[in-house]
Amino acid sequence: MEWRHKDLISLEGWTREELHFFLEQADYMEELMNRPIKKVPALRGKMVVNCFFENSTRTRVSFELAEKMLSADVVNWSASGSSTSKGETLRDTVWTLEAMGADAVVVRHGAVGVPDYLSKKLHRASVFNAGDGTNGHPTQALLDLHSARKKLGNLDGAKMAMIGDVLHSRVARSDIQAFRKMGVTVTLSGPATLMPEDTGSLGVEYVSDAREAARGADILYFLRIQRERQEDGLIPSIDEYHRRWGATDSLVALASPKAAVMHPGPMNRGVEIASSVADGPNSVILGQVRSGVAVRMALLYLCLGGAR
Amino acid sequence: MSILLKNAKIFDGRSLGSECEDILVKDGVIARRGSGLPEDGAEVYDLGGKLLCPGFIDIHVHFRDPGYEWREDTESGARAAAAGGYSTVVTMPNTEPAVDNPVTVEYLLARGKRAGGARVLPSGCVSKGRQGKQLAELGLMAESGAVMFTDDGSPVWDAKLLKTALLYSKDLDVRIMEHPEEPTLTAKAHVNEGVVSASSGMKGWPASAEVIDIQRGIALSRETDAPIHFTHVSTELGVDAVRQAKKEGLPVTCDVTPHHLSLDENCILVSRFSSTYKVNPPLRTRKDVKALWEAIADGTVDAIVTDHAPYHMDEKDVPFQEAPSGIASIECSVAVVLDTWLKLGEPVALEHLLSLFTSGPAALLPRPWRTLGAIKEGATADITVLDLDAVKRVDVNEWKSKARLCPWDGEMLQGWPVMTLVEGNVRMNRLEDGE
Repeated sequence: MEWRHKDLISLEGWTREELHFFLEQADYMEELMNRPIKKVPALRGKMVVNCFFENSTRTRVSFELAEKMLSADVVNWSASGSSTSKGETLRDTVWTLEAMGADAVVVRHGAVGVPDYLSKKLHRASVFNAGDGTNGHPTQALLDLHSARKKLGNLDGAKMAMIGDVLHSRVARSDIQAFRKMGVTVTLSGPATLMPEDTGSLGVEYVSDAREAARGADILYFLRIQRERQEDGLIPSIDEYHRRWGATDSLVALASPKAAVMHPGPMNRGVEIASSVADGPNSVILGQVRSGVAVRMALLYLCLGGAR
Repeated sequence: MSILLKNAKIFDGRSLGSECEDILVKDGVIARRGSGLPEDGAEVYDLGGKLLCPGFIDIHVHFRDPGYEWREDTESGARAAAAGGYSTVVTMPNTEPAVDNPVTVEYLLARGKRAGGARVLPSGCVSKGRQGKQLAELGLMAESGAVMFTDDGSPVWDAKLLKTALLYSKDLDVRIMEHPEEPTLTAKAHVNEGVVSASSGMKGWPASAEVIDIQRGIALSRETDAPIHFTHVSTELGVDAVRQAKKEGLPVTCDVTPHHLSLDENCILVSRFSSTYKVNPPLRTRKDVKALWEAIADGTVDAIVTDHAPYHMDEKDVPFQEAPSGIASIECSVAVVLDTWLKLGEPVALEHLLSLFTSGPAALLPRPWRTLGAIKEGATADITVLDLDAVKRVDVNEWKSKARLCPWDGEMLQGWPVMTLVEGNVRMNRLEDGE
């Protein structure tokens, strides 16, 4: 397949065939991770700038490892202590980076639409969305597809229950889009106050009872609950949340016996997920982290490297 | 000095003449209307069958003066308005400092007179500093020439204050204009609550926030028997509430904007979060757009206003969620409305549509200005000439306004103003363009 994407802003324009092809590429990359010398020269001489305007550890490290394994030159440009705090506009910042010769910008930002904006402003460099506000986190969706597929095989026709704070979650938005493209039926559950107004427009169903969502599911996806939600008055207490929507052994028992239990991390043990579930036999949570490096390698390789 | 405008179809503010006629303007006044008027040394313009209307009136613009002159000022704004076919505009008082005193009203009137564009009529704040706490000097501002009272940019925060203002302004012949928004429902909102908020996670701005404040204003108008005007009504629920109040016979009026008549929330997704589509109130659903046209058709809407809200590119051309709200449109708004009206297959009579730019808004102004919305002998010679066949591309680089980001930039639109007269002075003339 000839790879036609230069950027990854959102998975909206990706076809199911492209996702299949992409996941196969990610399989090769994962094999590479098992080698004693985890480095190939695919992106030698390419400069990638990681621009993280919002705190992130796992996504930034995951991208950085992927870049280094492919031999790209990596610069971490952190927003604090840099020119943005001196009042420089984002436009000027990215033009500066491009003038320095960046081939790609990996961006994480708290505001919706920043990767779109950068891709319109940059003349040449690729843009990879590492999370924009509540809007999207497409590499998370790719890694989730990759690890779900490892556990379950073909995803077409599978049932997924996504439980938690969908309203504030970019992971939820990207995953709903990606899993639906692969033929997965997604059912949401969680407090109605943490759901978007118009879940129908996302092509998913909502049920308030977590047990109903979990029954017979092949994938149980638990989203992070931030403590601010209680302060915002959207849930009465963390304890009540855990009892009604938390991942407990009895909830997982309702799902298909070989169901994959997933979580984007970092986990709040005892809040949205009990330790016995996080560390239990159905959990693929560490596999997700590993897939993260593999899919980011595949992404950089296809969009920047040998394939183009 | 006199000007003869020959061969025009005349819309007098109410009805459209069937034959071409001439208008003679003398000393800033419409001296004669008739066929085959003698030239008598007048400056002659042959309008070739184009449409001559009373000067268009926009009762809601932001010229950012004083305090934010890098975005716009009275001069650039007034010239932009004339270029857009308007002969009179009402400026909003959310400036720095806010227009909450007679001195600032007089400053704006003086600057407007020197600007050489549209006539600038200031509005004043309802509350001191637009803080929603204490009543501003409404009487003194009215004496100085304020033509509307509003805390626009925000609603009047306090219901008691709004009621006081309605009562206090009754004898001033100056209307209260309310920006309908219930702030507890719109805190941190960026888009309409619906498809875009669901798919992007940005906080949604529900229709309820608009209608709750409209209902509050209607209740207070009923209780005080004072007129209230709701500006930039954007939802079906909002116009429904105004329609009911009118049926009840209450002195309630409203206006709608060109962007809410022509764009919907999907623009934000299709453009991949272009900040040009960020506005308060937000772009709504297709159903709401349809409801606004229906409200125009049945007489619920009294005026079309631009809510022209210019920003500097460095402020506005930023990622969507970080961008300020506001659409700058005054130089293409008439074309936007006419083009949309044509594309929709002329859903209302032309006369009725034109009244929303002329006699409709004029009726909302204090008595001395109410004649502005009419073409008749003896009236002030404020005139807008329209060419309904003109097709032209919107090009922000030609604008008199300081704004350079506009949803319609680059689009071909049909139906443009080609001439603007203010008190008999030609303030815009594009009669020769494209001929």
